[in-house]
Amino acid sequence: MNTKRYLAEYVTLLLVVVVLALVPLGLGGSAYYLRLATMMLIYMIYTVAFNIIFGHTRQLFLCVGALAGCSAYVSVVLAMRMSVSPWASIPVGIVSAAVLGGVFSYVSVRRGLGVIFVGIVTLVFSMIFANLILGLREWTNGETGIETRGLRPDALAPGLASYYVILGVLMLSLVFYHLLMRSRAGTAFRAIADDEFAAELAGIDVTMYKVLAATVGSALIGAAGAIYAYYSGYINPTVFGPVSVDIAVLVTLLLGGMGTLLGPVIGSVLFAVLDEVVRPLGGLNVLVYGVLMIILVIAFRHGLVAMLRKVTKVRIP
Amino acid sequence: MIAILIDGTVQGLQLALMAVGITLIFGLGGVLNLAQGQFAVVGGIVAALCINAGMHPVAACVLGILSAGVFGLVVDRTLLIPAYRCAGEERLLLGLLITLGLSFVVNGFMDYKYSDISLSLRLATPSFDVAGISIRTASAAVAAIAILAFALLFAFLKATLLGKVIRSIIQNEVGAELCGINPARIRTVIVVLSAMMAGLGGIAQGLFSSLGPEMGNGLTDYALIVAVVGGVRSINGTLAAGVLLGIVNAFASYYVGAYLTLIILLGTAVFTILLRPAGLFASRS
Amino acid sequence: MSALLAAQEIEVGYGDMPVVRGVSLEVRRGEAVAVIGPNGAGKTTLFKAIAGMLAPRSGGILFDGARIDGLRHYELVKRGVVYVPAERELFPQMSVLENIELGAYTNYKSRAERLKFVLRVFPRLEERKRQMAGTLSGGEQQMLAVGRGLMAKPKILLLDEPSTGLSPHFVSEMYRQLARLKAEGLTILLAEQQIPHALAFAERAYVLENGEIRLFGPSTELLGNPDIQRAYLGMA
Repeated sequence: MNTKRYLAEYVTLLLVVVVLALVPLGLGGSAYYLRLATMMLIYMIYTVAFNIIFGHTRQLFLCVGALAGCSAYVSVVLAMRMSVSPWASIPVGIVSAAVLGGVFSYVSVRRGLGVIFVGIVTLVFSMIFANLILGLREWTNGETGIETRGLRPDALAPGLASYYVILGVLMLSLVFYHLLMRSRAGTAFRAIADDEFAAELAGIDVTMYKVLAATVGSALIGAAGAIYAYYSGYINPTVFGPVSVDIAVLVTLLLGGMGTLLGPVIGSVLFAVLDEVVRPLGGLNVLVYGVLMIILVIAFRHGLVAMLRKVTKVRIP
Repeated sequence: MIAILIDGTVQGLQLALMAVGITLIFGLGGVLNLAQGQFAVVGGIVAALCINAGMHPVAACVLGILSAGVFGLVVDRTLLIPAYRCAGEERLLLGLLITLGLSFVVNGFMDYKYSDISLSLRLATPSFDVAGISIRTASAAVAAIAILAFALLFAFLKATLLGKVIRSIIQNEVGAELCGINPARIRTVIVVLSAMMAGLGGIAQGLFSSLGPEMGNGLTDYALIVAVVGGVRSINGTLAAGVLLGIVNAFASYYVGAYLTLIILLGTAVFTILLRPAGLFASRS
Repeated sequence: MSALLAAQEIEVGYGDMPVVRGVSLEVRRGEAVAVIGPNGAGKTTLFKAIAGMLAPRSGGILFDGARIDGLRHYELVKRGVVYVPAERELFPQMSVLENIELGAYTNYKSRAERLKFVLRVFPRLEERKRQMAGTLSGGEQQMLAVGRGLMAKPKILLLDEPSTGLSPHFVSEMYRQLARLKAEGLTILLAEQQIPHALAFAERAYVLENGEIRLFGPSTELLGNPDIQRAYLGMA
């Protein structure tokens, strides 16, 4: 039995679910803070996904928002224009995001594109996505956006129930992450992140594992995106733009710690707090994130989990 | 038809002005500058502020370009140092992330403080006729500026010692060091030069239509595409790619509409990157 | 005769692996010294350390009486240390003339006379002076690399495997020119796999095997050494 070996991970997962489950109780019944906390959970899922894609296999997907938006719009448009039930259209959205992510990864690995080219291709994709939404306005309402309040299932209506539903999805993704990392795929990821060339020589099918990471990560992003679309009640191209999603996810992952289980969780909590603190500054919040990102990338690249590990000498997952 | 061609070429030249800085910084410094558009915004906003304060437009523009250069100098000597300490892909990734963060910093600041300021340069005569075709004076001005800038750039690179040194580092950094050249010092020159080219691009944008503080990221994205399609190490390629994409954009917009055009353009760019990652005009070395 | 260049117990490595261990050698003014040894012995690593492209982990390197270990190569060029690596590292899209002229970067204003000199040493480069360096043949590229190095007015020339990939005709011609330069006072340290030419050209040689100096002495002695004969000259 592997209980002893993964004790740290199990304890962590347990702690996370307990702490997060108790959060609503400490919010004093405020609907505003409950919404913030729920958004935090959604962004946590984004970050877990980005951790798999970038943190573990160094694929710089600068299109997290676009993938999320893709899933969201596919799901919402299907529900709105073709009266498909959200429970059916959400999986379709997820699949579309997963397929896109997988394709980007596959083509990039096949063509031997370095990390910056993946970044550029995904950046361009996020531009294409924004323009597609704007251009296909008969379907998507363009800039005006779509109200999803009428379409959403009750489980995703703002409130305590949806918080726990989304928490459930988050825990599923964390458990999935844990299982993935302790499988053969996880070992492959570590080898690839360390030295891709050596991994290839050692017989690891780098293409398959990178595409796997990208597909799985993109699926998670799609799930979070679709959930966000219904929960927030309104979508437009901006909410899935780089300023709304990508920079938040980048900062969160850098802050928490790439390649760790707890990193996305801690990072998201801190980022949510930071977001609130910075809210009165209005448009300047982007500046704060930019500054934070620069500082993190230069001086604190390994994130909080790594620092905590060093300080407490405990192997925090 | 000719009008569209002219329009497209001018826009292409302006894109190329923005993109050449990315090519230079990448070829020489090994850093992908995702804040290139922000240099243009800095230059443009400074120029606009000066004009609002009563300065003569030409002087204001010159000041704008110079401030873009100074900003580039500061960035190179501070933020980029950690990236320069690494090499190869590490430097690429770190530089990319640092400049990405910087782009948000500048974007956030500009959008907040100067959101109601934009650079809009209007010329005395809005248009003139050549052989029966009405040409916007602004287009002619932009074209003239861009062509002059590129001509000077090529002359500089071809004929001066510093220019040759720059070309040598782009072609072979090790070889340059063997000749006693210190690459780091030259890198700073390049970043300043690229920032000023971007500043010029911003001024051109102000002439062509208008430049607002929120446009930085968009300018960067287009510059990136042009630079990559043209070949991130080839200046000729960047110029050619810029003009090509500008013309394609102009024709496609006319016939197909703005959004579809953008998608076609972006799709073509992605396609090119995937087919020939080194760029359409990259030399086989 | 004083040593112009001396390496003292230097250790050079990549990451955790030491490639060159405890190597000491010296080159006196006006001498030609060879470093010979099989592939992978560490000759290139040693040269890179001496030239300032790599920092030695321990030990010191002295040039003209001053410590130079830890200095980067571009700083050494002005002092008279010129390195021509095996890869040559030319500028492929620049002309032969531009390549050569850049070699004089450290004394650019006064390059005209040096240029005449180099083009006399390598007349073939004069013929090809407007051609792109990337289109030259292997032998011509080697000549260009050496010619570019000479433009920096070297006190010592470090040549790493100058005969690699060259036809025998080119190799002879190159060594002929090197002998001429040596006669005019240039100090040369070269690394070679092709032993006969190297030992014929250099007065002294060091044998580098597995990162350590196995043997050293006057070339004539080494040529007569049965081990050397067996290992490198293919004689039973």
